[in-house]
Amino acid sequence: MNENNQLRDVYDAIADPTRRELIHLLSESEEIPLHELTAQFPMGRTAVSKHLTILKEVGLVHDRKVGRETRFRLDASPLREVQDWVGFYSKYWSTNMLRLNQLFEEEEE
Amino acid sequence: MSLALSLDFQYTTSIEKAWSALTDSNKLAKWITENDFKPVVGHRFQFRHQPNEYWDGLVDGEVLIVEAPNRLSYSWATGDERHTVTWTLQDLGDGKVNLHLDQTGFSNVHGLEGARYGWGNWFGGFEKALEL
Repeated sequence: MNENNQLRDVYDAIADPTRRELIHLLSESEEIPLHELTAQFPMGRTAVSKHLTILKEVGLVHDRKVGRETRFRLDASPLREVQDWVGFYSKYWSTNMLRLNQLFEEEEE
Repeated sequence: MSLALSLDFQYTTSIEKAWSALTDSNKLAKWITENDFKPVVGHRFQFRHQPNEYWDGLVDGEVLIVEAPNRLSYSWATGDERHTVTWTLQDLGDGKVNLHLDQTGFSNVHGLEGARYGWGNWFGGFEKALEL
């Protein structure tokens, strides 16, 4: 959208369907090794790793090495920002729609 | 962009009255804010909310679709954010009307924080007024 784009944020992170699917898969388990995640997608290990890196950059995913294996787990807390942002507009309209209801009630009288 | 706001509101009124509430500048002033809206495709307008230290209160828009009495769409920009607001009106019978709102185009612009806090401030004031 503008020159701020090099700063990755949670909105970028969830803009991609593969990354949303990764979030979904990780939400169903405590921790998943890379090879198990890779097996779920019709793309190479490198591509899946790149998506995981983007999720890591915004704190949605944490990883740890166990032997030769890297295991990933979800941290959903950054999604709160998205919820707040959409919720904010939801509140804006709900408030106004309440006033619209008053307007209709006045018209009825 | 995948983010979108989708809301439904039901009112006891006629579809003509609901359409008028969405498109008549004087009525919009009563439930949204002071404005120079006209239901004419291409018309540019402003919604002018009470400014505060975080937000100038201005929403700049352009009318995109006018299909009386069922569909109305306009762009909705404040600061660096540009959204599309689309209203779909549906007559439910028995004097009921459903207003469906879609607001799309949410971006990740970092500069939006000011507007968010500014609007939050404005809501606070409105909620207080409701309690009086």
